[in-house]
Amino acid sequence: MASGDTLLIFTPLHNEPPASNPATFDTRNAHPVLDFDASTNEDAVFSGIMPRNYAGGGLTVYLHYAMSTAISNDIDWDAAFERIGDQQQDIDSDGFAAVNSVDNTTVPATSGLVDIVSIAFTDGADMDSIAVGEGFRLKVTRDAASDTATGDAELRFIEIKET
Amino acid sequence: MAVLPDGDRQVLHKDIMSELSSRRESLGLTKDELRAAVDAIDQWIDDNAVSFNSAIPLPARTALTARQKVELFMVIVKRRWEVS
Repeated sequence: MASGDTLLIFTPLHNEPPASNPATFDTRNAHPVLDFDASTNEDAVFSGIMPRNYAGGGLTVYLHYAMSTAISNDIDWDAAFERIGDQQQDIDSDGFAAVNSVDNTTVPATSGLVDIVSIAFTDGADMDSIAVGEGFRLKVTRDAASDTATGDAELRFIEIKET
Repeated sequence: MAVLPDGDRQVLHKDIMSELSSRRESLGLTKDELRAAVDAIDQWIDDNAVSFNSAIPLPARTALTARQKVELFMVIVKRRWEVS
C-alpha cells in the first residue's frame, strides 16, 4: 500500500559531509543549499531509517537542484544506498552499493529555478537490500567529470519515494 | 614569457567557475567552451607580448621590469573590469 508514498525528505541541513570532496554548505537568499563543484566530483551523505510504512518495493530518489551560473547545457547526478541495518554494515568502513544515475539533464534556463530529477532503484541489491526499520545512508554525487554545465550545482531538497 | 602550463590553465578554469558561482552570474557555456576561452586568451597574450611591449612609451619601456609591465597591465585591465 506504500507505493507512491513519500518515505523521507532530506534538506542540506541533514548532510553528513564525507572526509574527501564534500559538497559544501551555502545559502542562496536564505535557502540552505549544498554546492557541488563543476570540476571535481563531490558527495553529500544523508542518514535515515527506512520508515515503517515502506512496503518493500523499489525507491525513487528525487533531487531538487538549481544552478549557480549555468543557464544551458547538462548535468549528471549519481546516487547510491548503503544498508547499515541490523548487524549488516561495520560503520568503520563504507559499503555503498553501485550508483544509479540521471544523466544529460538540461539545466533550467534561469539560474535559481529549481529543477527536479529522479533516479529509480529496484528493490534488492540495487538499493543495497535495505529493509523496513533499518538504518541506511544515501550518497549523492554530481558527476562533474562527465557533465557540461559550468559552475556549481545547488542541491536544495531530496525526496525518497516508494516507487 | 611562454603560455601557462596546462595545470595552471586548469586552475584558472576552476577558479573562474567558482568566482562566477559565488556571484551567481549566469553563463551559457559548456565547461569545455569556457576552457577554450581560457586557452585562447592565454595564447593571445603570448602572441601579442611584443606588440604590448612596443606600445609602452620610453622611458617606461626600458625602465620597467617585465613583471612590473605585467602588473601595470593587470591593474589597468582590473580597473576597466570594475567600471564596465
